[in-house]
Amino acid sequence: MQRASSENPGESAGALLALSNDLAGAVERAGRAVVAIYARPRVPSSGILWRPDVVVAADHTIKRDEEITVTLPDGRSVPASLAGRDLSTDLAVLKLQNADLPAAEIGDTASLRVGHLVLALGRSGGDSLGASLGVISTLSGAWRTWRGGHIDQFVRLDLAIYTGFSGSALVDASGRVVGLNTSGLARGMALAIPTSTVNGVAEELLVKGHIARGYLGLGMQPVVLSHALQKKLGLPSNSALIIVSVEPDGPAEKAGALIGDVLVALDGTPVSDTDDVQAKLGREYIGKELTASILRGGAVAELVIQVGERPRKDK
Amino acid sequence: MASADRFASQASSALAAEIAAVVERLRRVTVQVRGGRGGGAGVLWCSDGPRSHWIITNAHVARGPRAGLVLPDGRFLYAEVRATDPQRDLAALSVPAAGLPAADIGDSGGIRVGELVLAVGNPWGLVGAVAAGIVHAVGPIYACNRPSCIQADVRLAPGNSGGPLADARGRVIGINSMVAGGLALAIPSNEVERFLRGLGRQCGDATEAA
Repeated sequence: MQRASSENPGESAGALLALSNDLAGAVERAGRAVVAIYARPRVPSSGILWRPDVVVAADHTIKRDEEITVTLPDGRSVPASLAGRDLSTDLAVLKLQNADLPAAEIGDTASLRVGHLVLALGRSGGDSLGASLGVISTLSGAWRTWRGGHIDQFVRLDLAIYTGFSGSALVDASGRVVGLNTSGLARGMALAIPTSTVNGVAEELLVKGHIARGYLGLGMQPVVLSHALQKKLGLPSNSALIIVSVEPDGPAEKAGALIGDVLVALDGTPVSDTDDVQAKLGREYIGKELTASILRGGAVAELVIQVGERPRKDK
Repeated sequence: MASADRFASQASSALAAEIAAVVERLRRVTVQVRGGRGGGAGVLWCSDGPRSHWIITNAHVARGPRAGLVLPDGRFLYAEVRATDPQRDLAALSVPAAGLPAADIGDSGGIRVGELVLAVGNPWGLVGAVAAGIVHAVGPIYACNRPSCIQADVRLAPGNSGGPLADARGRVIGINSMVAGGLALAIPSNEVERFLRGLGRQCGDATEAA
């Protein structure tokens, strides 16, 4: 059975072998900062050592707040505490005690191009490192998740997000971490959260434990305006938002908003969908006064609402 | 910048040519196996003297005492199922034929997670179809109830069973055996060599003797 491979005549796979070695090298390098997280029944999920004592993970995989353990790349199992979580961006941050391992080498997601080879690196089955290969499938600008989270860049991946791979590292060909993969943001679609967003959210979660969001205290739904009304008011769209609930003592109630008012513009921008309102509720708007143009009794009126901070429901 | 772009396009066309060459060599050592029910693939593993050749496939592909083989050149032969190991899901077949090619066998002990792999087989009956991917994980794997497994991020289907999983040099490092959770599971080549050694075969020596 001793068949020397040197007798292989066709062995000249230079570029292919180099690529193969590069990919294995990238896995080895980046794999030193990929951990397994035990925070749900059955399958563990993946996380990234963002700092020596901080792990970032996909929020939807963290099913319990306590008794979380993390298996480090060197095989040690250590307890972790939940420092904070944000449903809207599907990110959670865990703190490790006495952790001294080097953190991930973080790259810039903005350097990626469609078609670039990328790897997803996770640690789920039996704590061993797992990898999948694919390409960047779509890149576009900032977007808002259906839960209102702001994500700096839309990154769609053509690679398999295996069970337990939410929270895995998106790794470029040189072995740098360029995002956090999740299938929990858009109906199972393989997406990556860019590093700039992970940095910002992790920073705030570590300081405050949650992500502050602006708050009006209004429930709204889109309504169709008559063509005549749209023309009379000079609105760009025939859709506006009717107020269907007003939170007692909320910012909007204090400003005089009533059920039945129709919101047509906020802060000088016409609104035709709740997304348009969400766009004005980032944390930078908290405490600011916004002018709301409303239709009441067929006439336009203006209310000045001081944006509050969304009360936290989780606790 | 223009020269950098030209370099890039040369690199990718060299890559494409090398993949094609590796695939061509793999296809020459991959056979169709028509066993008990359905079928699968097999690998022309090594020659055992001038009039005998060993073929490796899965035990679940070659169930009876004999199996039909279709060689890459279209020839149909009957092979004798010499040994099966249901635990490892391996079967060793032999055909009384001379001059058949043999696969380059790699050392599965040196596999690294992330390295490129190519699989050839007959998924859903599509003869000689190729799938490319990377090694997903090695070692003790939850989904694999054997002592050792290669788990590959490569899309396989029924009909790939028994076919080769090869590295970037075109060396066979595993025998594809099953799909679990979307991942391919392969039996490492060292495990196959151990199986053959257990049968008392020394086909490398026999080749030299011939």
